[in-house]
Amino acid sequence: MAIVIRRLEENDEAENFDCGDDALNNYLKRHAWTNQQKSSIGVSYVALDEDAPRTVLGYFTLAMASLPRDTFPKKYVRGLPPYDLPLILLARLAVDRRFAGRGLGHALISEALRISLRVADEVGCRSIITDAYRDRVSWYARYGFVPIEGAAATGPQRMFLDVRTIRAALPR
Amino acid sequence: MALKTRKKRIEAPAPSPRRKTKFQADLAPAEDRSVRLLKEELQLSSNTDFLSDAVALFRWAVSERKLGHRIMSESASGERKVLLFPRLERVAPDLVLPRVEIKWTGRELESLAELVSAGEANRPTDALIRAMRD
Repeated sequence: MAIVIRRLEENDEAENFDCGDDALNNYLKRHAWTNQQKSSIGVSYVALDEDAPRTVLGYFTLAMASLPRDTFPKKYVRGLPPYDLPLILLARLAVDRRFAGRGLGHALISEALRISLRVADEVGCRSIITDAYRDRVSWYARYGFVPIEGAAATGPQRMFLDVRTIRAALPR
Repeated sequence: MALKTRKKRIEAPAPSPRRKTKFQADLAPAEDRSVRLLKEELQLSSNTDFLSDAVALFRWAVSERKLGHRIMSESASGERKVLLFPRLERVAPDLVLPRVEIKWTGRELESLAELVSAGEANRPTDALIRAMRD
């Protein structure tokens, strides 16, 4: 199976996509295209098999976010640049459960990190954040994401990855 | 002195003849076959009855989605399939749309500020190195 990852297109087939999570399934089926094409608030990238180049096997969505400088606790503000803090939000990442365990998640996050690095190089961005399901925290941690302390115990865990860490992982 | 009030006779408007709308559609051969097959299965003899039933079904589906209800089928074994029909999804209310809203607690902001203002970033993990070199 040769996997291709590219931007979501209007005619991609996502109706049968099932990652086992309704929110992630519905986002892809109902909102990903509109958010990308009409609202331009996030871009989704899909993993496809070359032999069935319309059927979505997995996807991730990236969006830009920022935090106003004055939202940070005062003792840290002095050490931060005098601008809002630009962030990339890894908003979704899911693999169809029929294709789990074949390295699709690794391929998707690799591409998400490469794109993030390009964005950071071309536009400027300090870090990537994601809200990980609790049972996925260790998976993100493998890629260097660090838990941001202070989240509610029951909700998703917000995680952080410094762009400098990604850059350091590039081949020299 | 009693006042006589004049009773005004209000004539009911003459019923206008009910206008019927003619519906004409150009169907591709495959669609035409589908319609014929459906009419046969539903034992409908006329296109008018077919259209009328189809409209009733569509009207019900639209009203359900407008309420935010999902439409699904359930097999004898309990397996459920949710109907996702793009045109129907457009009438679904906004309140069920997922939103990406980033809320930060004070502690999260403090933790993020610590991470961002760190002099040196963490070293990349093996998995990250593989991800960037694959």
